[in-house]
Amino acid sequence: MKFECIKDKLLDAITKAGKIATNRNPGLPVLSCFLLENKNNRLIIKATNLDIGIRLEVPVKTETPGVVAVPGEVLINLIGNLPETKNIKFEGSNGEVKLTTNKNFATIKTKDPNDFPSIPETKSEPFNMPASDFVNGLKAVWYSSTQSSIKPELSSVFIYSDSEDLVFAATDSFRLAEKRIKLKQSKDFGNVLLPYKNALEITRILDGEGGDVSVFIDKNQISLSSGGTYITSRLVDSTFPDYKQIIPKEFETEAVVLRQDLASSLKLANVMSDKFNQINLVIYPVKKVFEMKTKNTELGENIYSIDAALSGKDIDISFNLKYVSDCLNSLTADSVSVSLNDVSKPMVIRGVGDKSFLYLVMPMNR
Amino acid sequence: MDDTKKLWENTLAEIEMNTSPANFNTWFKDTRILKKDSGAVFLSVPNAFVKDWLSSKHHGFILKILRGLSSDIRSLEYTIAPTDPKKKQELPTKVRTSPNRELPLEELYINKDDNLNPKYTFESLVVGPFNELAYAASQAVVKQPGLVYNPLFIYGNTGVGKTHLIQAIGNQIKNSYPEKRVHYVTSEKFAMDYIGSVQANKVNNFKEKYRKYDVLIMDDIQFLSSKEKTQEELFHLFNNIHDSNKQIIFSSDKHPNFIPDMEDRLKSRFSAGMIVDIPTPDHESRAAILRSKAKNLGIELAQEVVDFIVSSITTNVRELEGALNAISCHHQIKNKELTLGEVKNLLRHSSKPKKTLSVKEVARIVSDFYNMEENTIYEKTRKKEVIRPRQIVMFLLREDFGISYPSIGEKMGGRDHTTVIHSCEKIKAEMRHDSNLCKEIDQLRTMIN
Repeated sequence: MKFECIKDKLLDAITKAGKIATNRNPGLPVLSCFLLENKNNRLIIKATNLDIGIRLEVPVKTETPGVVAVPGEVLINLIGNLPETKNIKFEGSNGEVKLTTNKNFATIKTKDPNDFPSIPETKSEPFNMPASDFVNGLKAVWYSSTQSSIKPELSSVFIYSDSEDLVFAATDSFRLAEKRIKLKQSKDFGNVLLPYKNALEITRILDGEGGDVSVFIDKNQISLSSGGTYITSRLVDSTFPDYKQIIPKEFETEAVVLRQDLASSLKLANVMSDKFNQINLVIYPVKKVFEMKTKNTELGENIYSIDAALSGKDIDISFNLKYVSDCLNSLTADSVSVSLNDVSKPMVIRGVGDKSFLYLVMPMNR
Repeated sequence: MDDTKKLWENTLAEIEMNTSPANFNTWFKDTRILKKDSGAVFLSVPNAFVKDWLSSKHHGFILKILRGLSSDIRSLEYTIAPTDPKKKQELPTKVRTSPNRELPLEELYINKDDNLNPKYTFESLVVGPFNELAYAASQAVVKQPGLVYNPLFIYGNTGVGKTHLIQAIGNQIKNSYPEKRVHYVTSEKFAMDYIGSVQANKVNNFKEKYRKYDVLIMDDIQFLSSKEKTQEELFHLFNNIHDSNKQIIFSSDKHPNFIPDMEDRLKSRFSAGMIVDIPTPDHESRAAILRSKAKNLGIELAQEVVDFIVSSITTNVRELEGALNAISCHHQIKNKELTLGEVKNLLRHSSKPKKTLSVKEVARIVSDFYNMEENTIYEKTRKKEVIRPRQIVMFLLREDFGISYPSIGEKMGGRDHTTVIHSCEKIKAEMRHDSNLCKEIDQLRTMIN
C-alpha cells in the first residue's frame, strides 16, 4: 500500500483518536494500534479499546490501496515531532511501514491488520443535533459521576429524552448534575447509560466540531457521526436511580450571588481548607449575612463575606468545597441562586433565569 | 442449564487450544450459552465489539466445534447480555468513610424502561396452597408468553402478593427472552398517561408507545372503574395486543365481573384468558412467608413467636412485613432475641383487635339483611322464613366469634345446645352446594366485620 498525505490533517486526526489507541493492552497488542485503510483517495483511521471505537477520515493521494496496523504512540510521537513538513509519504510492506518526508525517513514495525476488530455499526434511526449541544450536555454533568466501578450506573452519564429535551444527568451519590438541551426534532429513545470515561473521550473528540452530529442509539450501543468522524461506545446495562424524587421543590433559605463572586470566594476559601475540604456556609437573611468559612487546624482559618440577596430562614451548614466548585463551569448565567432547606437536606445551585442546569450537593455530617 | 454450561466449557477448551491466549482472553472471556433451543444455540457476549468479531471471524470455527460436541446443533446466534449476574454479587461492598452525606437515592432502583422492580422474582416468592394455582398459571405464561392464558387476570385482596407475582412474570420473561419488550404499568399511571397525551394532543404517541410492547403488565385495574375514555383506549389497546399474540397480564382486587363501572366488553375480554384468585394465605403459608422474610432480614424467630404473629395477623402479608420490621428494629437496638412477651407487647397495636359485637347486634344485622323483625329471631316460631336467619345467626356466632354452643342457645331465647349444633351443621352442609347462601353469608360477614 502506498499513499501521500498532508501532515497537519493526519496529525489532527490521530491526535483525536490517540487516547483510544495508545492505551496499552497486554491482552491484544493490536488494540494499541491505528488501523490505516487507504483506498480511493481516502485514509480511514480506526482505533478502539473494545469499550469505545472511533473511525476518522483524512483525504490522501492513493497510489496503491491497502491496510496496515501501526502502533499509535509511535506514530503520534513521530509525526508530532516532524519539523517543517507539509507532506508525508507512506509505503507499507512485509510487517513494516516506511514514512518519507523531505528531511526524514522512518520505518515503523506494524502488526497484523487482520487481528484488528471491526468497529460495530449501530442499527437504528438517528436523530440530529448540533455537535456542540451534545458536547455541552456531557461536559455539564460528567464530572459528577463516580470513578469507582462498583456501581456502573453511577460511573456513567444518564441520557434520556424528555418530550422536547435531551437530558444528561450524573451522580456519585454525593452530588448530582442535570443538564437539559432543547432538541429541534424530538425523538423518544428511552434512556441510556454512557460510561463517563467514554463521555469524556467523546467531548474531547467532538469539541470544536461545527455542524450537526447524528446520534444512533440501540440497546447496547450509542454511536455519533459527524462529518467523517464516527464514534461508537458501549452502553451500561443497568438502571440509573430515579433521581427526580430527591430534587426539592421548595426551599426555606435562598441566596442569589454573582457567579464570579462565588467562584472567587471558593478559590479563597480553598487556601485554608482542611483535609475533608470542609467549607462552612452561614446564611442569616435578616442580619444580611452570607459568610463562607474554612478552617485548618495547622494553617489557620478564613472568613469571607459574600454580597448576596438573601431570603428565608437562618442556616449554618457545611459542604465539601470541591463538590460545590465543580459545578461553576457548568453555570452560564451571571447570577447564581443557592437554595437550601435544612442541615441534612441537599443544596440546589442553579443559574438565575437558566432552567437548563441543576446541581444538587449533599451537606457534610457534623 | 448445567448441560449447556458443560457444552460451552468443552467448546471453550477446544477453542483455547487453537487460538492465542491474547485472542482467547479478549474475545471469549465472559461468553456463555444463554439457551439452547431446537438446534439453535444462543451465545451471550459482553458487547457489540465481541459480537461483530465472533460473527465475522470465528463463526464457522465455533459452530464446527459445537457440532462436533453435540450433533443436533444447527445454528448459532449472538446476543449482547451483561456478564453473568452471579459474578456481580461478588463485588466487594465498599465501606464509605466519607464524612459527606449521601443523596437519598437508595431503594429507588426501578428500571425506567420497563418499570419493573428487580427485587420481585419467583425465587423470592413463597408458594403455598393459597397461591399455587396462580403460580402455576404464571409459570405457564412465562414458558409461552402470549400463547396460553392470554390475558392472565390475577385478583385477590390487598397484600397477598399480586404485584409480586406479576412483576416476577415480567422479570422472568425479560431474563428468558431478552428480545421481548416487557412493560409494567399501574392503571393509574396508564390513565394519567392517556390524559396527558390528550392534553398534549399526542394520542397517537400514546397508542404507539403501548402497542410496541410484547408483554404488557397492568396493575390494579380496578382503578379504571368509571374512567370511560381510558377504558375505551384500553379496549382498543387490548384488541391490538391480543390479536398480535402478545401477552397481557392484569391484576385487580376483585373478580372482573364485580368491578363497578367497568364496560361489559372489557369484562368479557378479561374473562377470555385465565382468571385466577389469590385468596388470603393460610396459617402455614403465612408462617412460611414470615420465616423467609425473617431470613432475608437476618433474624431468627422462635416457633412460638412465629405462631403468635401468624395468628394475630391473618389477612395481609404487608402487615406481616411491618410486624417483622418492628421486631428486626428492636432486635438491632437490644442486640438479643426477643421473647414472646416482648413481641406481644410490640405488636399490641399493629395486630388488629378482634371486633367485639354483642349477640344482639349480630341478630340485628342478620334480621335487617333478611328484612324481618329482630324479635322474631328470639321467638319460638318455626316459620321457615325465620328459621333460616336464626340458623345463620347461630352459625356466625359459632364460626366467627367462637362462642360455645350452650351459651349461644341461651342467648337465642333459651334453646338447647343440640339445636344450635344442628343449625350450624345444617348451614355448613347447605353452603357446600348453595352458592346463593355462600354469597349471603359473605356479605353478612363483611357487614359484621
